[in-house]
Amino acid sequence: MRIGFNFTLGSTMGLVQRLIRERRIDYCELLIDNFLQVPPAQLAAAFDCPLGFHIMFSKFLESDVDYLEAMAERLHRHIEALQPLYVSDHIARFNHGGRQLYHLAEIDYDSEYRHVRDRVEYWQARLGQRLHLENYPSLLGGGRAAPEFFARLIRDTGAGLLFDVSNAICAQRNGVIAAEAWLPLIEAATHFHIAGYRESILAPKLTLDTHDAPLADDTLEFLARYRTHFDKPGATLTYERDDRFDEAEIDRDLAALRAIFPRLDDREHADAA
Amino acid sequence: MPPESVLPEPQWKDAELLDALLIPALQGNFPRDSAAFVRIDTSLRVYWHTLFDICPQLLELSGPDGLAIFRPFMAWAAQQQLSMNWAVYLWLCRWLQQSEFAARVDEELVFTLMAASVARWATGDRSADCGIVLSAAGHGDLLVGWKCHTPDGGRAIERVGLATPLPEPDEQFGYFTLPDFALDRFDGWQAVPR
Ligand SMILES: [Fe+2]
Repeated sequence: MRIGFNFTLGSTMGLVQRLIRERRIDYCELLIDNFLQVPPAQLAAAFDCPLGFHIMFSKFLESDVDYLEAMAERLHRHIEALQPLYVSDHIARFNHGGRQLYHLAEIDYDSEYRHVRDRVEYWQARLGQRLHLENYPSLLGGGRAAPEFFARLIRDTGAGLLFDVSNAICAQRNGVIAAEAWLPLIEAATHFHIAGYRESILAPKLTLDTHDAPLADDTLEFLARYRTHFDKPGATLTYERDDRFDEAEIDRDLAALRAIFPRLDDREHADAA
Repeated sequence: MPPESVLPEPQWKDAELLDALLIPALQGNFPRDSAAFVRIDTSLRVYWHTLFDICPQLLELSGPDGLAIFRPFMAWAAQQQLSMNWAVYLWLCRWLQQSEFAARVDEELVFTLMAASVARWATGDRSADCGIVLSAAGHGDLLVGWKCHTPDGGRAIERVGLATPLPEPDEQFGYFTLPDFALDRFDGWQAVPR
């Protein structure tokens, strides 16, 4: 299992560089659409490790085709030049009635399947690349249909699942669906996310995927219990952090992940000892 | 123990409460002790933080909870079908200027809201453009926003006074975008998007 860290913009460059230097991470996941104005050669020179691409604002389920064509062309340049470990995007709702949702919403898995399937086929074709699609951190009962929806989508389009472990744990904590419902999909997936969560301010408490807190015990326990479902050749696990960059806390979390998924050479050293 | 047994059964889908995710007045249609109410609250809070964390001076007008601005502005934004894109701060400025707070909208607040809007453009716009120039009629200086263009950089915001000023926009605000990282052209002002 390769362990990575997300890089969204600017201020955490020093932290990311230290994590790479100290071999706490094996790759870096770029929120790639933040860097489309940066020449790919400069990105290649800046990161002494492989890269993953996470697309945030293609809004490919909703955007008009002109917008997507232009964005695909620019993404494609970066994909060609940087050969990322994977390219991922989101299955979520970004707008409602032409108005932006600042907190993304969950799609309606019961009524939107055909549209989503068609758009995934289109977007993969335009990027010339298999896409890995991320599961949503469900807050409400509609999320119960997510695993079945993703299974069908992956079967029909050849896309992959970017399985966010903590998103599934959030959904479980919100009483939507047990994280175990994803196990067959986890077994088939190669790319993973993990992050800390936080409870809502109001009660009844909902668990929110906030990326600003240490990994919770239930998240790490799930990962450890099913480690063989996750670990496989080419697998990646990105630790996502978008706020409250407490470096000691981040180091501890990365070490906890490494303890579950030791490096091959570390395991050999342990055996030798 | 499966969590279903300890938590209230969620009855809603996100798709059924989309309107309420950005209209505070609709939150009251949901029971106060329901997951739907809390989910809507979670969404509304992001709008609140997007306005007040970026422009904390607004709290001096509204009071510390911001609600005297937040609730009526969000209702007006819904009525006007504002897209809530990068120009949202400019529409807020316009709303403030016809509200009970009009007398307290000074030049500094106008520039703060303009800076917030070009910053939001610079991080959120996904076109091939590199920069944006924003002008307010009667306010001289321009606000310029640049997208990130180095691996360790970020977006950059500048307040620029030109020796030879550009003509004023016809409307309260006008903008144009820059195809390169150079402020070397002026093709006329565009009206800010809804
Ligand atoms: Fe994620």
